[in-house]
Amino acid sequence: MTEYGQDEILELVWTLREEGNATRTQLLRRTEEDEPEKILEELSSAGLLEASADEVRLTRPGEERARVIIRRHRLAEVLLNNLFDLDNNQMESTACKFEHILTEAVTESVCTFLGHPPVCPHGRPIPREECCDKIRTEIKPLVTRLSDAVLSEEIRIVFITPKSRKRLEKLSALGIVPGSRIRLLQRNPSFVMEIGETTVAVDKEITDEIYVKRA
Amino acid sequence: MTGPQNVSAKGTGKIVLVGNPNVGKSVIFGQLTGRYVTVSNYPGTTVEVSRGEIKDRGRSLEVIDTPGVYSLLPMSEDERVTRDILMRERGARILQVCDAKNMRRSLMITIQLAEMSVPFILAVNMADEARNRGVMPKLEGLESRFGVPAVPTVAVRKKGVDRLLPLLENAVESSTRLDYGRSIEHGISRMESLLPDSTPIGKRALSIMLLCGDDSLAPWLAENVSGENIREMNAVRNRVVEENGEDISYRINQGRLAWIDALLSELGEEQSEPAGRNWADIFGKYSMDPLFGIPILLFVLFLAYEFVGVLGAGILVDFLEDGVFGKGIVPAVAWIVEKTIPWEIIKDMLVGPYGVVSMALSYAIAIVLPIVGTFFLGFGILEDSGYLPRLAVMVDRIFKKIGCNGKAVLPMILGLGCDTMATLTTRILETRKERLIVTLLLALGIPCSAQLGVILGMLSDIGFVATTAWMGIIIGVILLVGYLASKVIPGDSSDFILEIPPIRMPQMSNLVIKTMARIEWYLREAVPLFVIGTLILFVADRMGWLLWMQKVAEPIVVGALDLPPKTTEAFLIGFLRRDYGAAGLFDMARAGLLTNLQVVVSLVTITLFIPCLANILVIIKEQGGKVAAGMALFVFPFAVIVGAVVNFASRALGITF
Repeated sequence: MTEYGQDEILELVWTLREEGNATRTQLLRRTEEDEPEKILEELSSAGLLEASADEVRLTRPGEERARVIIRRHRLAEVLLNNLFDLDNNQMESTACKFEHILTEAVTESVCTFLGHPPVCPHGRPIPREECCDKIRTEIKPLVTRLSDAVLSEEIRIVFITPKSRKRLEKLSALGIVPGSRIRLLQRNPSFVMEIGETTVAVDKEITDEIYVKRA
Repeated sequence: MTGPQNVSAKGTGKIVLVGNPNVGKSVIFGQLTGRYVTVSNYPGTTVEVSRGEIKDRGRSLEVIDTPGVYSLLPMSEDERVTRDILMRERGARILQVCDAKNMRRSLMITIQLAEMSVPFILAVNMADEARNRGVMPKLEGLESRFGVPAVPTVAVRKKGVDRLLPLLENAVESSTRLDYGRSIEHGISRMESLLPDSTPIGKRALSIMLLCGDDSLAPWLAENVSGENIREMNAVRNRVVEENGEDISYRINQGRLAWIDALLSELGEEQSEPAGRNWADIFGKYSMDPLFGIPILLFVLFLAYEFVGVLGAGILVDFLEDGVFGKGIVPAVAWIVEKTIPWEIIKDMLVGPYGVVSMALSYAIAIVLPIVGTFFLGFGILEDSGYLPRLAVMVDRIFKKIGCNGKAVLPMILGLGCDTMATLTTRILETRKERLIVTLLLALGIPCSAQLGVILGMLSDIGFVATTAWMGIIIGVILLVGYLASKVIPGDSSDFILEIPPIRMPQMSNLVIKTMARIEWYLREAVPLFVIGTLILFVADRMGWLLWMQKVAEPIVVGALDLPPKTTEAFLIGFLRRDYGAAGLFDMARAGLLTNLQVVVSLVTITLFIPCLANILVIIKEQGGKVAAGMALFVFPFAVIVGAVVNFASRALGITF
């Protein structure tokens, strides 16, 4: 459980810093952990945190870890709020659990799925990761929307989130299902993709719902 | 599993062609039966079922051509037609036409045919294209897996087609069954036990359709399954939905695709030297390009204008109207009539100003025919090349604004050939809203080939500016009315998911046959109406009604449109056929009776004018009398209003063209 507690404290330090109030007093007042002093001790000796008289500061590695936790938490908030329409309490408590269990790959998929949202439902910034970058020097096998895929490169469909069942049926009858290898040929004036020897034109709306990875 | 007790293997003498869209079913149909049905290079050419006959060793076999389908679980009107035929024609043998380049998709249908327990064989068509691309699958393995013959064919070159008939004779059912997983399989076997003993197609296929929630089976269920069993079926389906989610058909499709992928990689491909990219691929790519697409479109339009407007409406009409009819036939007939017929009234009826020969035949043969002929030829080239679906890609975003998607451009373009046929083609659109909007726009603003040809002929005399103005006004009106209609008509638009066929060099033989078939159709359909229209004018003239009508229409024709009173005649016969009305205007313009502005105003009005009788009948058939009446009541005054607006605006701005 120490890791859980550490995550919570690091997260709180990040939040307090955003509020411009990263003091030990504030931290101790706001935390919900049972033995915050002990955890602070742990974090300090692990080199993740520097606590002077009253100020608490994240070290470089601490900053990194907090950033990942904050990112997962806020992405989870967006997911729960936008998609499932949960109320604030449920959203908070679930997001708190999510932040500890999401793997890097899942976080990336969620971020892509949500269209790389810049802020959480409370209006706080979501730390950006590599998957949010539009300008890349090297193309990693990241999950992107088909509409953002690199032209004429072979890609594989990872998942499809269609608005209607009918759409899903139609796409699957054409062979467009997860696992299929496709190529995006053009974006304008309409999206055109190639699957096997078939060329299919579709709306942007549909390509937004197809998530792909480099094959 | 269902046994063959449902369908006898020997069966009746019926053959049904099924397959994905644009794989060549109609070509094979034509070669089997010797009957021509329209063949083009885009999906959705066949919307109606065609039936033909083969005489085989003293026996006659009925052959049925069906609209192409992606799945036998219907998703649109035309797909349902095909599925229903398979259900209705018990004992028929099925010829599935596959695209050798796209076996993955073709086999989706094959699996369903196997599940339906119908006897079938496979024609693996376009084998040449598949070999050129190095993707021709090895067919022996396919045959043994499904237990049915698979014949490689190149239908347009008649290769392999003669092997089909003997094989069909001995066609058997396939025993291939896929395993869709415990939960779905359990649902299928429960469903099967609830179906009546005798079913039109295999119980497994029906059970899968029911599990997928296919509501188009409702009429069959109502007649054949007890209410109690239907309740039970719903319970079975709900159970499967609980375990698998709503997307059962998607899951099933996914299972099928995975099975097919495994099969295809096991089969392997024939060794062949793939040919590189050729000019057709390159043209195909650029014709959809955001940058080059528009110039290519304009260039295609320009060629069409040169071919139909200049060659057809100019050179050929001059030759036929002034030469053959003006100096030859009409004087000759007049001379014969003069010598042989004593009654003045009959003479007049034949060669007078409203004579059958001097007006009806010379309009139909000398003015409209050369224009329609060149148009049909040019249009056939466009159809067979595969360019038209690429147009849908270009205009999708614009069509979204009028409540449709890019697919709707296909019936609209087809309307340039014939609005009546195009109105039938609206069936390829998926929602009623889209079908209504396109039907309305066809009736309102899309000039058919005959009319378009005549119009282009007239405009080419005045010049490029007038042509552009006319086109701009008509397109503007179509977009405006489409936009408003999309706001008024309730319902949804469908997704734009359209298969783009490869660009191909049109086959000369198909082009010639298609053009001839269409010309024949034109002569058969239009000439009688031209004659009737002329007779009406003749009588009206004799009785003095024509002057009376001109007077009645004067406030509109002369007052609002500033046209000479004689134009009333053109509009009058325009009620019968718009092209006939346009031909009347053409004649007046050539006689120098119209100024350039009057030409533009009258052409805008006649383009938007009431659709021809045949078109109205088809609208009634497809959409009902109420809708047809509503459209006619809207279109007629609207046409006059737009004409008047163009007239006043041009005069106010001093535009004379």
